[in-house]
Amino acid sequence: MEPTREIYRNFPDILQYAFYLIAFLACVTFIYGFYRKYKKYRKGKDANRFNNLLKRFLKAGAIMGKNSTVFKRDHYAGFAHWLIFWGFVVLLIGTAIVAIDHDFLRFLGIHLLEGSFYLWFSVILDVFGVLFILGLIMMIVRRAGGKPQFDYSRSDLDAAKYNRKGYSTDDKIFLWLLLLIGISGFVIEGLRISADGMPAFEQWSPVGWMIADLFNADTANTLHLYSWWGHAVMVMIFIAYIPYSKAMHMLIDYANLMFKDDMAAKKLARVSEEQQDISMGYVAMTDFTWKELMDFDACTKCGRCHVACPANAAGTPLSPRDVILDMRSHSNECFNTSEWFKQSFAEAKKEKPSIAGDVISTDRLWSCTTCMACVEACPVGINHHLDTIVNLRRTLVEEGDMDDMLQDALANIGDYGNSFGQSERMRAKWTSKLDFKIKDVRKEPAEFMWFVGDFASYDAGIQDLTVKVAEVMTKAGVDFGILYEGEKNSGNDIRRAGEEGLFEMMAEDNIETFSLSKFKEIFTTDPHSYNTIKNEYPEFGGNYAIYHYSGLLLRLHEEGKLKFTKKLDYKVTYHDPCYLGRYNGETEAPRKLLEAMGVELIEMPRCKENSFCCGAGGGRVWMDDSKMEERPSEIRIKEAVALGSADHFIVCCPKDYSMFSDAVKTTGNEDRMEVKDIIQLVEEAMG
Amino acid sequence: MNIVVPIKQVPDLVEELEIDGSGKDLNREWLKNKVNEFDDHALEEALLYKEANGGTVTAIALDSDDIEKALFAAAAKGADKVVKVTGDFGGAVSSHTAAKALADAIQSIGFDIVMTGVQAVDDRDGQIAGLLAGHLGAANVNVVTSVEKDADGLVIHKEYSGGVVAEFETSTPVVLGIQAAKETPRYVPVAKIRKASRGLTIDEIAASGSADAGSEVSRMFKPEGGAGAEMLGDDAEAAATKIMEILTSKGIK
Repeated sequence: MEPTREIYRNFPDILQYAFYLIAFLACVTFIYGFYRKYKKYRKGKDANRFNNLLKRFLKAGAIMGKNSTVFKRDHYAGFAHWLIFWGFVVLLIGTAIVAIDHDFLRFLGIHLLEGSFYLWFSVILDVFGVLFILGLIMMIVRRAGGKPQFDYSRSDLDAAKYNRKGYSTDDKIFLWLLLLIGISGFVIEGLRISADGMPAFEQWSPVGWMIADLFNADTANTLHLYSWWGHAVMVMIFIAYIPYSKAMHMLIDYANLMFKDDMAAKKLARVSEEQQDISMGYVAMTDFTWKELMDFDACTKCGRCHVACPANAAGTPLSPRDVILDMRSHSNECFNTSEWFKQSFAEAKKEKPSIAGDVISTDRLWSCTTCMACVEACPVGINHHLDTIVNLRRTLVEEGDMDDMLQDALANIGDYGNSFGQSERMRAKWTSKLDFKIKDVRKEPAEFMWFVGDFASYDAGIQDLTVKVAEVMTKAGVDFGILYEGEKNSGNDIRRAGEEGLFEMMAEDNIETFSLSKFKEIFTTDPHSYNTIKNEYPEFGGNYAIYHYSGLLLRLHEEGKLKFTKKLDYKVTYHDPCYLGRYNGETEAPRKLLEAMGVELIEMPRCKENSFCCGAGGGRVWMDDSKMEERPSEIRIKEAVALGSADHFIVCCPKDYSMFSDAVKTTGNEDRMEVKDIIQLVEEAMG
Repeated sequence: MNIVVPIKQVPDLVEELEIDGSGKDLNREWLKNKVNEFDDHALEEALLYKEANGGTVTAIALDSDDIEKALFAAAAKGADKVVKVTGDFGGAVSSHTAAKALADAIQSIGFDIVMTGVQAVDDRDGQIAGLLAGHLGAANVNVVTSVEKDADGLVIHKEYSGGVVAEFETSTPVVLGIQAAKETPRYVPVAKIRKASRGLTIDEIAASGSADAGSEVSRMFKPEGGAGAEMLGDDAEAAATKIMEILTSKGIK
């Protein structure tokens, strides 16, 4: 007997027609759901994401194939997802082959599913079916473990004020429906084999064969029709359910990964002329780009951003996950798109809620430190958490709805070019502590222009470190100069606080001063300035090669100009500044420097791209932090102290030095942990 | 209600002040200007009043260095009209001269309420509101911290020393010297100022007659060290060492 199987076994014709009708309805529901989403995205603004389409397609395909973003820092979830993903893909291809073979090729007199093709087909589908079920069981077990990221509690509202049961219902339906589809697939296979009288070639379907063994042929023959329909109906329900539930991530997230902007957050968007006539920020859902609208749909509620967020950890009302989900709810309401499993609120919404203020409260918007941990953590390519927050902050700034301290800082920057409210002429006052004169690159040429930054220039607690940088660079023979009173705040944090006009003014002023000065390259002591000069100034006509001082120090060491004569005997841990490590991928230079100085480096659990913010970014350094349950800097110091063995906390960012020096005191860890800037170690190691 | 808010630029105290060669005025060559803080509060109170009760707000200023910047900022904050009084107003202008020029201009514009800063760091005489009220034949209350509308006119809070507040009822026209607005003066984003400066024309009114200057500065100088005080200088370390020496010499260890 030729190995094959009968499709629609023992089916009266009428039932076959019924099946095609149901399948047709399911497909229509499926297509309609995605059509509505397409219509929604069409209402968003242009986002310029159609360049390098093939490259984008393949890159996203590779991420999907490897599940690399799901594996990242969670191998269990990554492995389970990989099993489900590939199980699903292979079973989908298998089902497609059956359909093509039976519904199309049959009429051409071709039959694929027979002979050895059928045997290999059987065994491959059985194996992947098992993997699929295994992956789903792993996920069900993981969910039962109650990880903090599965807690859907909002950070901003009491439990009585909202209801998110729809979200957990959706999670359960998704997992259990897939599991039942997988299991019932094996059951009908077994029943068919049993009813067919256990032909020996069906041992190529090992799982089906084992199940077949449990039934006698007559019972199996009766049960087969029922279980076939059970399986088919579940599959059709699943197809119809996809666009209206978390299952949509299977399709949307491919597109979302494909169209993602790798510069998101690092380089914020300018405000278009036509938008400026309405507001500097986003006020209507149609102000969002189509990709931002897609981001809101792409979320699977995995909670990785929620647990990575320092604002959330500090007990503020902000959670990046909730921002995305609230924006999703609001966009579906505005564009009238169906969402079957949604959150609801006890209080009725205002008739015309403002996005900045009502949908996302001002408290939440001002809590963001723009550390980018949410963007980095997202496995499905959502990278507009931060842009959305900044675009909404721009609206608040326009309305003057902000912290008094922030208002003062912005006014000071507008008046004096620095947030300290001191005269421009005091910017280089720290140089009076040096016994040599630093070149003024506006007047005489130098190889490097040192962009010092506000904190390093004006903060009395940091100036000694600034002096050390000048001394070390001079000893290493670096030809450098500064801009003296010509330097202004770089604007990185102003922009992220939502004061776009002031940012543009600072960027334009600085670029003009740079262009009138004579230097080849830039180095800076400030990671925040490093980010904006490197990534954002080019759009304003300023293209520069820029080093963070740790990178330049390493280069000097490798060129033999910076020699370490004394081996340092410290046990240190190193804190990656957000704007250096996560934003710009520079995690190695400071570590190589530390290694060269002979210190023992003990890594904190959250390091490199996964570093935990000090809480000062995005303008937070100018805002009141007294309402926090625990400051992010304090949480971080406790993480370092918990290592047990490290006694030095090494930083390379002036704001970090200031934040963590305070945090060791407020957490009472002064005798256990000493905060040092890397320049202090370098100076010591030079002997 | 038409509210008129006279504002002016004053020297920014972030920079060290220098006396010029005449010994009667500041050296204004390198001076940085900023809006008089009390005028900023007057404008805020006027805008709050307008937002609550309707009406118009007109910011008015005598022509001087950087005054356009201040007027654009006022427009960006919400002033409906901005007016510059042209004439020779370089350097220090006495309250009498300023009040006469402003009063003539305000009269020609028409007003119900004038709100201006109760004083300014560069004259410290607090006369503007009173002089304006005299010229304009209006009532006058100074050191005001709140202006509210009432069925018959205005309810005004005036701050007394020792934390006591008095409530006044007044009809218009009235000139108010504002000590502080009910809220911190609003921040005005740069984009709004840039936008305001593009689409806005500053109305100009030429100053008519002149007025008696009232008083004249005969000498301007920095506080001179007296016998009772010893200045320890600017250098923090040297000063700290000196303080230690003094404390030790007094027997404190």
